[in-house]
Amino acid sequence: MEPVERLYLDALMEDPAVPGHSLRPQLLAGARARRRPAAPTAPWAEPFAGRVAAMDALLASAVDDDWSRVIVEGWTLQELVAHLAAKDGLLAASVGAPVLGPPLGATSAVGRTSDVQAYERARSPEQTRRDWRAQADALCRHLAGLSPDTPATLDGMSAAVRDHVLARCLETWVHTDDAARTARVRLPHPVPEHIHPTADLCARLLPWTMLLSGLDGSGRTVLLTLTGDGGGEWHVPLGGEGSGVLELDAWREGDGWRRADARITADVVSFCFLLGGRGDPSSFAADLSGDLSLARDVLSSAPALSGP
Amino acid sequence: MEAPYDDRLLHQRVVGGDEAALGEVYDRLSSLIFGLSLRVTRDRVIAEDITQEVFLVFWERPLTYDPDRGTLRAWLATIAHRRAVDHVRAEERRRVTSLGPRLFEPSPPRLEDTVLAADEARRVKQAVTALPDALREAIELAYYGGRTYRQVGEELGVPEGTVKSRIRLALRRLADALAEEEV
Repeated sequence: MEPVERLYLDALMEDPAVPGHSLRPQLLAGARARRRPAAPTAPWAEPFAGRVAAMDALLASAVDDDWSRVIVEGWTLQELVAHLAAKDGLLAASVGAPVLGPPLGATSAVGRTSDVQAYERARSPEQTRRDWRAQADALCRHLAGLSPDTPATLDGMSAAVRDHVLARCLETWVHTDDAARTARVRLPHPVPEHIHPTADLCARLLPWTMLLSGLDGSGRTVLLTLTGDGGGEWHVPLGGEGSGVLELDAWREGDGWRRADARITADVVSFCFLLGGRGDPSSFAADLSGDLSLARDVLSSAPALSGP
Repeated sequence: MEAPYDDRLLHQRVVGGDEAALGEVYDRLSSLIFGLSLRVTRDRVIAEDITQEVFLVFWERPLTYDPDRGTLRAWLATIAHRRAVDHVRAEERRRVTSLGPRLFEPSPPRLEDTVLAADEARRVKQAVTALPDALREAIELAYYGGRTYRQVGEELGVPEGTVKSRIRLALRRLADALAEEEV
C-alpha cells in the first residue's frame, strides 16, 4: 500500500465509533451461514477439523477452470477432493462413523478412491465439495465421542484412531497446499497447536519409514529438532515401532536423552511436508551432525509412507 | 509493511474455521472500521451494514488477505473504504438521475488495490503540506520515511509519547480538512 493511502485510511480511522447496538451476535450468526466453522470434535482431532475448514475456504473461491485443472497424481481438483473424501470415508468405516457417497465396496485406498471419483465425476464440483465436507464433518462429529486410543485400520494399517486422524490432517494439509500453489494463493500454516501433534506423528513414523525402505536402524538413535512454531525436540530410537519415540521437554533436560548417534535439525513444516511426500530428501534443508550417513538415511527414507 | 505476529495468528485461526478468532478480530477492530465507514457515509445504518460486511468478507474469504502485504487493520480498512465510497457514489448517481438526464457517466470501477484516485492522493498530500510544521514533520517521517515512533522522536528530539500525540492530532486534522473540502 502507498504511504499516502495508509495515511489517508489512518486519518479516517482517527475517530473510532461504536454502533448503537453491538453487531457481534449478528456477525457471528451471519458468519456461520456464509462459511461453516470447523466441525466440533474431540480436542485431539481438532488439527484435522482445522485443515478441512482451510481446504473448504480455498475451494470456496475455486471457479470452473480451477476445478478441471490437474493438481497432483494426474487428478483434477474435483478428483483430488473425491480422493480425500474416499480416505476419510474409509477411516469413518473403520470406527463406525457414517460413510457417505457410493456404497462401500473396495476397502483399499486406491480402490475406494476410484469408486468415489467415478461417483463424483457425474456430479458438479460444488456437489463434490459438499460431499467431501459432509464426510469429513461426519467423521469429526463421531470422533468427539471416541477415545483417542480406539484401534482403527485404514488401507491395511492398524493404529490408534488418533494417529490415523493426524495422518488425515497431514494429507489434507499437503493437498490443500498443492491446490493453493496451483491457484497461486498463499496458504498460511495451521496454528502451532495443530502443527505440533502432526510433527509428533511424523517423528514417530521415522522407525517405520526406515523399515519400509529396507534400512535397519536397530540400536541406533536420532535426536530430531524441529524449529519454528509448533516444533520441538524428539528422541527417536530407529529400531522399534515408534513406541520408543519420546518428545523431550524441560523435565528430560540433561538426562542423557540428548545423546544420540545422529542429530537432525530442520524446519517443522518442511519436515512434515517431507513425510507427506513433498520436497526432495537429497536437497532438504537440514543441519546434520554425528553419524551423517545415518542422518541422510533417515531423511531419504522419510517420504516412504506417503501415498497419493 | 508486514503484519505483526498477532495478525498472522488470528488469520491462521480464521482460515482454520475458528469462529472465536473472528470475534476477537471484531472486538479489536470494529470501532475503527465503523468509525471510518461513518466518516465516509455519514449514515449510521449504512456504516453498520458496511462494518458487518467487511468482517464477513474476512471470514468467508480469509485467503484473500495476505499478511505479507500488510496489516489486517489496513486490509479491512481498504475494503470498508471501497464499500463506503461505492455507497456514496451510488447515492450521488441516484440523486443526479432523479433530477433529470445523466450529467456524467459513473466513474469506472477501481483497481482492487487502489484506495485513492490520483486527484484524491494529491488532496491528501496538500492537506499534509498545510499542517503546522511540528505535525507535518512527524507525519512525513512516520509515513513517508517509514520510521517508527521512537525513531521519529530521536530525529525530532522529542519523547516518543509526544510523537504519538502529534501524529494523532495530525491525523485528526487531516481527516477534518479532507471532510471540509468534500462539502
